[in-house]
Amino acid sequence: MPRGETSASVEAAIDLTVQMAGVEFRNPVITASGTYGFGSEYAPYCPVEALGGITLKGTTPEPRLGNCVPRLAETPAGMLNAIGLENPGLEEFVKTVLPQIKELPTQVIANISGFSVADYALMARTLRRDSGLAALEVNISCPNVKHGGMHFGTDSQSAETVIRAVKQETDLPVIAKLSPNVTDIREMARAVARGGADAISLINTLLGMSIDVEKKKPVLANTFGGLSGPAVRPVAVRMVWEVAEAVDLPIIGMGGISSWQDAVEFLLAGASAVSIGTGNFLNPSLPLDVSTGIETYCRRHGFSSVRELTGLAHRV
Amino acid sequence: MLSMATVLANETMGAPEEGLRRLVLRGIGAARPGQFLHIQVSAHLEPLLRRPLSIARIDKERAEVTLFYRVQGRGTQVLAGVRPGEALSVLGPLGQGFSLPAQLSQRLQLSHQSHSPNLGHQGHTRQQGEVRQDSVQAGGELWLVAGGIGVFPLFALAQEAVGQGITVRLFWGGTHKRFLESAGFSYWEALGIPLHLTTLDGSFGRQGMVTDELNTQLSLRASSSLPPVLEVATCGPRGMMQAVVERCLPLDIPVEVSLEERMGCGVGACLGCSVTVRSDNKSLRNKKVCQDGPVFRGEEVVWNA
Repeated sequence: MPRGETSASVEAAIDLTVQMAGVEFRNPVITASGTYGFGSEYAPYCPVEALGGITLKGTTPEPRLGNCVPRLAETPAGMLNAIGLENPGLEEFVKTVLPQIKELPTQVIANISGFSVADYALMARTLRRDSGLAALEVNISCPNVKHGGMHFGTDSQSAETVIRAVKQETDLPVIAKLSPNVTDIREMARAVARGGADAISLINTLLGMSIDVEKKKPVLANTFGGLSGPAVRPVAVRMVWEVAEAVDLPIIGMGGISSWQDAVEFLLAGASAVSIGTGNFLNPSLPLDVSTGIETYCRRHGFSSVRELTGLAHRV
Repeated sequence: MLSMATVLANETMGAPEEGLRRLVLRGIGAARPGQFLHIQVSAHLEPLLRRPLSIARIDKERAEVTLFYRVQGRGTQVLAGVRPGEALSVLGPLGQGFSLPAQLSQRLQLSHQSHSPNLGHQGHTRQQGEVRQDSVQAGGELWLVAGGIGVFPLFALAQEAVGQGITVRLFWGGTHKRFLESAGFSYWEALGIPLHLTTLDGSFGRQGMVTDELNTQLSLRASSSLPPVLEVATCGPRGMMQAVVERCLPLDIPVEVSLEERMGCGVGACLGCSVTVRSDNKSLRNKKVCQDGPVFRGEEVVWNA
């Protein structure tokens, strides 16, 4: 080391960038759909430019008021939600949300949901590269709406059909978001790969319920809800591991990440990037803490790029 | 704002059986009456979610806020164990508070300046010219209607309104005397404003519901030359707030209601705390209690959505 040079200045910069489906993300930390609104809600607590990307709240062709309250129930190390895809609908999304997201200094992924293959195709036809979006995440895994996506995500033939329809209509990269509520996640991953998905994100929430023993009735107005939070993380890590072995597509891993260590776990299991969902509610600056933590981890373990972590645990 | 707030006090209020506590925090940004803090009660992910607590007192000079809360679930149980000197992760102040004090005092000033019937008003539809002339002569009053621990956020509003020279009157109903005495009766007494108290068992104040007393006093006003009611602010059980709104709106008295709902994020991102409202064009849409509220105009809330 030349005299006078500080140790900080000779520390090699860690390359945090990741490329998935032809899109470059400045770091592997993305926010999960449905937990980050339309991108601006958390800006006072976590600078948007610190994020690898933002996944927007799920959008459907028609506006939806969503389910009745209570929509949330806290559970051990987790929470159930049954929002019911409340969203302003495609027309309003194009009119008011898209102009705003063009200003956001990060990669923005739209999340689309539907009740038929035609619904998904319509959304894909409208949301293309010129919309300012980086990619489309196809929600075939919403557990909280009758026939609201999860139907498509639990039957491999339907999943393949939906993804193929979306791919045919949009020039954006397509990310298939998988439901964990299946017997064999690998079969679903292979199906969406056949349909032409450019990447896979998993897991959506696990279907669950909670009963108020004093009132002797379900806590959620919708009876069932999707379980998220630290409680689901081991299931999510296992599924990322399985999908990484089953298909050759980049994976965005998510499920209960509440620290940088959790995020590294997903990367080692085979994810190229991670999404943070429920963790934002606990700590609104978590995405920033996670990317900083990943950088420090890489430095400590002698990695020059975060990309070296992907799937490492399969090989060691 | 996301900050670590120092706990200055976290102690039982009144009779221990009531489970009511007083929490004083330092290091919170400027708060307005009606706003809330989203507090992480444990750094150990158990319980997982933050807890929204309404702000009961604001001490701007000392940068302190006081929250009153009732221990009734896992989150408040854990919160009760936090000791003075410890720090809590606090998100907030969050939400839209009561618009009353500034708006009311402005309106009072305006009425003193001019008798014009076309003064700017916040979307309410009453006959302004007549009311305004009354309020010039008699001042007009801000009425607060509280059910149970719904009285907590109204205290901050009362403090600010009294500080601005607005005449404030409290209607407060509880189950029994011990509850009212434990839930901050002495603070209200010290404020020196007229109090209309009711208890279900008649052990303190009038026996019955707080809305009974509200009805009595509204009827009295209608047939006398007492100062008019300029606005009503209410917080408490949903049914009570609905009754207050349905009683006051036909009399052209604007009402602000402070709603409560289970919350996830607290910042409008997760849509866990939706409330259905009626837009000005009568169509139904959702608002978020955390971000658009917790205070809403009484006429916009759809009570039986």
